Amino acid sequence: MGSLHCRSCRYGFMPPYVLERVAVQGSERLRNVARHTLTTDQTFRTQRGPQQVVEPLTAPLPRATPGQPARYIHSAEHRQELPGRLIRKEGEEASNDPAVDEAYRWLGATYRFFWEVFERDAIDGRGMPLIGTVHYGQDYDNAFWNGAQMVFGDGDGELFNRFTASLDVVAHELAHGVTEREAGLVYAYQSGALNESFSDVFGSLVRQHYLNRTAMQADWLIGAELLTDQVNGRAMRSLADPGTAYDDPVLGRDPQPGHMHDYVETQADNGGVHINSGIPNHAFYLVAMALGGYAWRAPGHIWYDTLRDPRLAADCDFATFAWLTEDNADRRFGRQSREVVAIREAWRAVGVTS
Amino acid sequence: MPRLETHSVLCIRREGGVAHFPGLASPRRIHCGQCSDAQRQWLQDLLERAAQCPDTEGGADRRRLFIEIEEGESATGTLPVWSLSLDEAQAPEGLVALWRHGEWQV
Repeated sequence: MGSLHCRSCRYGFMPPYVLERVAVQGSERLRNVARHTLTTDQTFRTQRGPQQVVEPLTAPLPRATPGQPARYIHSAEHRQELPGRLIRKEGEEASNDPAVDEAYRWLGATYRFFWEVFERDAIDGRGMPLIGTVHYGQDYDNAFWNGAQMVFGDGDGELFNRFTASLDVVAHELAHGVTEREAGLVYAYQSGALNESFSDVFGSLVRQHYLNRTAMQADWLIGAELLTDQVNGRAMRSLADPGTAYDDPVLGRDPQPGHMHDYVETQADNGGVHINSGIPNHAFYLVAMALGGYAWRAPGHIWYDTLRDPRLAADCDFATFAWLTEDNADRRFGRQSREVVAIREAWRAVGVTS
Repeated sequence: MPRLETHSVLCIRREGGVAHFPGLASPRRIHCGQCSDAQRQWLQDLLERAAQCPDTEGGADRRRLFIEIEEGESATGTLPVWSLSLDEAQAPEGLVALWRHGEWQV
């Protein structure tokens, strides 16, 4: 047996988080994972060729009638092929597969939010089918939007639970589709952070709408259900208090800033799209708390108006976005309105404007 | 693509995903001088397959793998002589497994 070695650890080329769990908690599951890896590589097998690119699903699925979603939930059956096998489509009974049924339920809740609050008919505003795939990959700890559908892994069970467990994460992914269709915000640096922030804001609003929570009652967390009990953290992100969602020996510390003083200049994470999104996230939270009541009403409408504003450029930066939200608040509520004042003060509080 | 030699270092980073976790962002470095000839050849084959993988555009929260071959030493560390970035979903299974689980047998 040979093992590859990393400079910083003497255990071989095991990722730190795996080593941590094996060493500290002696997890049988991780030992099995490692054993499986050793076994599958033991034969020095020929690697299979490049995976074929799966084209976005273009089959003519029935479109929704206004006010009714058209959901199609597939299972990748632990492979990385999309969309996988269709398990449950609109109107069918529960499948008894928790991941399938969660995806179905949460995509429905997200559809209802956009329809009831903004009269938006699905991702494209024209009843686009909501296509989801669960059980993607092996121990896959991620969820993503691929430009045509939403994809959810089961998590590794050690750090992350299955990604369909969280309503706001499912809504976050669907909202990426909405942002893509409306604004096409470039997924890098400040425009990418705005793209991420839209998904967090709408993700949180969908949850608040589903639970009928006011801004004051909401937890303002993203992905609270995703982290296992073994992780020292509450969620993946906090709009109320960026940078405090987790502080864990394996995951590290939540890197999100809540103020431009702490803006992270980096090339990692597509220029910090999941990091610096904490700043516009917190601005939205401040607006919602200042206005009180249901955050999807005035604050949500202002953000949605801004997303649909033709002046929102694909490479928009924070300062321009701040101005656009204020201008949209002015259009909807008037220049002297408390909404305009709340927005102006929020962007000043996070250091985007002075 | 350069040949992996005993003085080569293979660096693999994974970025992206629905959140950025600093603790999971550290690069894995494989010092080829500590590999057998067969292991080095296995890595070489893996990289050549990775280089032929189709890439993907668009979407959000996708994860990407960044691979570099580093050689030599400078005042600031090793010098990258070759690099590749590819969508994790399109990467050869062996590359993802190498990042996740590290050990393998020849």
